[in-house]
Amino acid sequence: MTDCTVTTRVRQVNENQCHMCMPLGGVVALRGVEHSIALVHGSQGCSTYMRLANVEHFNEPIDIASSSLNEKQTIFGGEANLRKALDNVIRVYQPKVIGIMTSCLAETMGDDIERFIETYKNDREIREIDIIPVSTPSYNGTHTEGFWATTRAVVAYYARPTERHPGINVIVPNISPADIREIKRILDLMGLEYTLLPDYSLTLDRPFGGRYQKIAPGGTSTAGIARMAGAQATIQFGLTCPEPLSPGLFLEQQFGVPLINLPLPIGLDSMDLFVRTLHDLSRRPVPESLVLERGWLCDGMADAHKINAGARPAIYGEPELIYALAKLCMENGSIPAVIASGTQNSGLVGLLQPLLKDALEEPVILEEADFVTIEEAAVRKGANLAIGHSGGRYLTERQGIPGVRVGYPIHDRIGGQRILSVGYTGTLAFLDRFTNTLLEAKHGSYRRLRKEEMLNKKGVSNAKA
Amino acid sequence: MTVTDVNVDELVASFPDKVKKNRKRHIVKKNESAGSCPQIEANTRTVPGIITQRGCCYAGCKGVVVGPIKDMISITHGPIGCAYYSWGTRRNKARADDRTPPEQIYSTMCFSTDMQESDIVFGGEKKLAKMIDEVVEIFHPRAINVCSTCPIGLIGDDLGAVAKAAEEKHGIPVIPYNCEGYKGVSQSAGHHIANNQIMEHIIGTGTEELDGKYIVNLLGEYNIGGDGWVIEQLLEEIGYKVNSILTGDSAYVNIRNLHKVHLNLVQCHRSINYIAEMMETKYGTPWLKINFIGIEATIESLRDIAQCFGDEELIARTELVIERELAAVTPELERYRKICRGKTAFSFVGGSRSHHYQYLLRDLGMEVVVAGYEFAHRDDYEGREVIPTIKSDADTKNIPELHLEPDPEMYREPNLHLNMSKEKYDELVASGRLGYYKGMYPDMIDGGIMIDDANHYETEELIEIFKPDLIFTGIKDKYVSHKMGVPSKQMHSYDYSGPYTCFRGAVTFARDIANALSTPAWKMITPPWEQSETKRT
Repeated sequence: MTDCTVTTRVRQVNENQCHMCMPLGGVVALRGVEHSIALVHGSQGCSTYMRLANVEHFNEPIDIASSSLNEKQTIFGGEANLRKALDNVIRVYQPKVIGIMTSCLAETMGDDIERFIETYKNDREIREIDIIPVSTPSYNGTHTEGFWATTRAVVAYYARPTERHPGINVIVPNISPADIREIKRILDLMGLEYTLLPDYSLTLDRPFGGRYQKIAPGGTSTAGIARMAGAQATIQFGLTCPEPLSPGLFLEQQFGVPLINLPLPIGLDSMDLFVRTLHDLSRRPVPESLVLERGWLCDGMADAHKINAGARPAIYGEPELIYALAKLCMENGSIPAVIASGTQNSGLVGLLQPLLKDALEEPVILEEADFVTIEEAAVRKGANLAIGHSGGRYLTERQGIPGVRVGYPIHDRIGGQRILSVGYTGTLAFLDRFTNTLLEAKHGSYRRLRKEEMLNKKGVSNAKA
Repeated sequence: MTVTDVNVDELVASFPDKVKKNRKRHIVKKNESAGSCPQIEANTRTVPGIITQRGCCYAGCKGVVVGPIKDMISITHGPIGCAYYSWGTRRNKARADDRTPPEQIYSTMCFSTDMQESDIVFGGEKKLAKMIDEVVEIFHPRAINVCSTCPIGLIGDDLGAVAKAAEEKHGIPVIPYNCEGYKGVSQSAGHHIANNQIMEHIIGTGTEELDGKYIVNLLGEYNIGGDGWVIEQLLEEIGYKVNSILTGDSAYVNIRNLHKVHLNLVQCHRSINYIAEMMETKYGTPWLKINFIGIEATIESLRDIAQCFGDEELIARTELVIERELAAVTPELERYRKICRGKTAFSFVGGSRSHHYQYLLRDLGMEVVVAGYEFAHRDDYEGREVIPTIKSDADTKNIPELHLEPDPEMYREPNLHLNMSKEKYDELVASGRLGYYKGMYPDMIDGGIMIDDANHYETEELIEIFKPDLIFTGIKDKYVSHKMGVPSKQMHSYDYSGPYTCFRGAVTFARDIANALSTPAWKMITPPWEQSETKRT
């Protein structure tokens, strides 16, 4: 397959968008740093909206402070408000780390955040609290870039030349807390010492019980982040991470920590790649329990691939995840109908081309896509599954294409924080949802479709499912 | 702790002194013996960094008021974030009807100019104009709204000029809303801007003659989960014609005729009182504050509306419907009352709803001990009589006021709208029914707390102090209350339930509440091994 359709946006109108704004991803990444709180420098609607979107996805309390810029500050600058905001957040929340994300308002105003912070810290004689600015104007990228930019800023803030140690760094993209926990379990199984960043597996998915704390316990420790500079290697699940935003590349260039960029460990090949890398780094045998899990996945694939071969999924969302999912689909004989991302500059097309070169059908690959473009392509290519976040609900509502929710954000189903799709076990859990959604549609429509076909004198209809 | 023992100082103890002083002015304890409502500070700037629940001007304009208009395309002009955040988050249901076919419904869709860095540098007017061209070409909408986000005000895009040019080019109304997020102090500014533009550009442009003896508009009802439909059905059964709900399930084609009705009913006072007032000035249309949340409240509202028209037949039919509905819902309600009775709740929602829901909860034997709003003004708490005493500050002055005169052709005296004598009309006004809202304070329980712009920290403290059985709030603090062991009900989306209005809505609500209060899992949080340990010590 060489001539798959590749489309980037030509229209002016973004109708039913497939991507969100930069600081939204930034605040998620920051929740992965211990004792931290995010402050959005902008009008208070920004932080309110970001709390809303994240709370709906994670089903957890999420505190994001705001500098509450008003009309006056748009003229005189936002420094005074930012200082007040810092005063109050420090007083009430007692954080050890404050990440300041800029809104498009603050960036358009041209506030010099770094200078504001320096003056503030000097005036207040603050030494114990780290204040990290991240530039995240939403006209410069999507929530995906915001996530990477924040992670990189955190690494750049803490990493210092350190003694070499045998531990490794693991840098994850915007995946679910359940996915992070699974990656950590695999790392533990392989007996490796590691720093995983950003680790929001406990801060954005709190077990019930114990006294409620304003800043949820958990997250990567700042001491751990500082030590990342001395690790033997960095594994980054960031094939689509733009180089200027890549935390792993920063560690390689600044501190000589070799960067191993891997696909998210979803599917047999990607997960094998991850395990083999861990095996090479730890020089330990792969434990029996992991071999068993691999066996169960292979067994599950053997059982399901005949059904899955009939799937023509439309996969949409953040580039890192959809690349991994597209690869998993190909492994199972499900040739995607559409692979679409709202971002640009992720290199997705180049990554996908070798993967799809032997495919019998040509998927449509879309970058900078909105859901109207995705919907049009999905219908044209006969998609019969919609794989991705809640934005794709229109594919189901308007076109009757059944959906499998995965990715971010999910607000029309419960439990976005618990969706597991990495590792052998997670892949199988995802695959079962995938297969069963197909089966459900099939059971619901098989008789009707066959009847339609038989009555249709022209022969076999091209009806879906 | 009983409600009367609460010490307001304790609530704000953790804040720096200046913040403490500020916040104390936003908190009022109901004191029955003291008579009138003490002044509460409201609609003033939030202190930065205290984690307010407030949204922004854009949220109030696009997210609340203009977004739900079903047959208009609402374009968000700005970088991508804001359009997403206001996309269908309030479950404003809309349906096709004989005037608006399904393909003309756009309120569930999301349109953004998705501005990039170069647009910020060189201006976004051209992009916006092209986008309007495209939208017209693809959808052929009846009219378009354009709502701006923060950076637009700074880079100086002339929204008005682009809209005007587009209007001329395409021959359909294109209405600009300069609702940049930083304007005003909360969503409230956006409500006002939306009200102004709808008043200026849409209301009064319709020329159809409406059919019906008693025609009303239902203002400030957003049809969350179908609330508005239930009210509409009830009103039509009695004999009213509802021209338009504003803005839940509303259509541009009906809003044009808003001025053709006999009476405006106002459900949400905060978000829509501007239009109610302006219509009274310009067209003489009287308005009546009603509340369809709660059985008793619904009955009172229905009787009030009937009184406004004074038609004996209408009054009789009202009683008949009330009797029928009561008989239908009472047995089931009684079942839930047994579970709800004696329980306490917090209510932080809306621009009138923290008040409205107190009626419904009282119907179930529950009391609201703490209530507040994110974006209300003093009159929403203290009653409309304080309006003349509210000092306008720099933030309010930034929102343009429309100074309207009676329309030379379309103005009719209010009593003529209701087909009654001037004397009888004046009597109705004097009785406090027409053109008046008493605010939340009179209905608060003695010793209860009324809190404006409650922040995250205060909410947590209040939960610790009062240990309520249930919290009615938005999604942002919903999970805080869960983590603290208190069930909550999300009142912006009803947790995908509803409708909650009128008689049958009250039953649905009561069932949801009874479920929340009686789900056994809440009592199983502490594991048995820890329970026995506590018993031993």
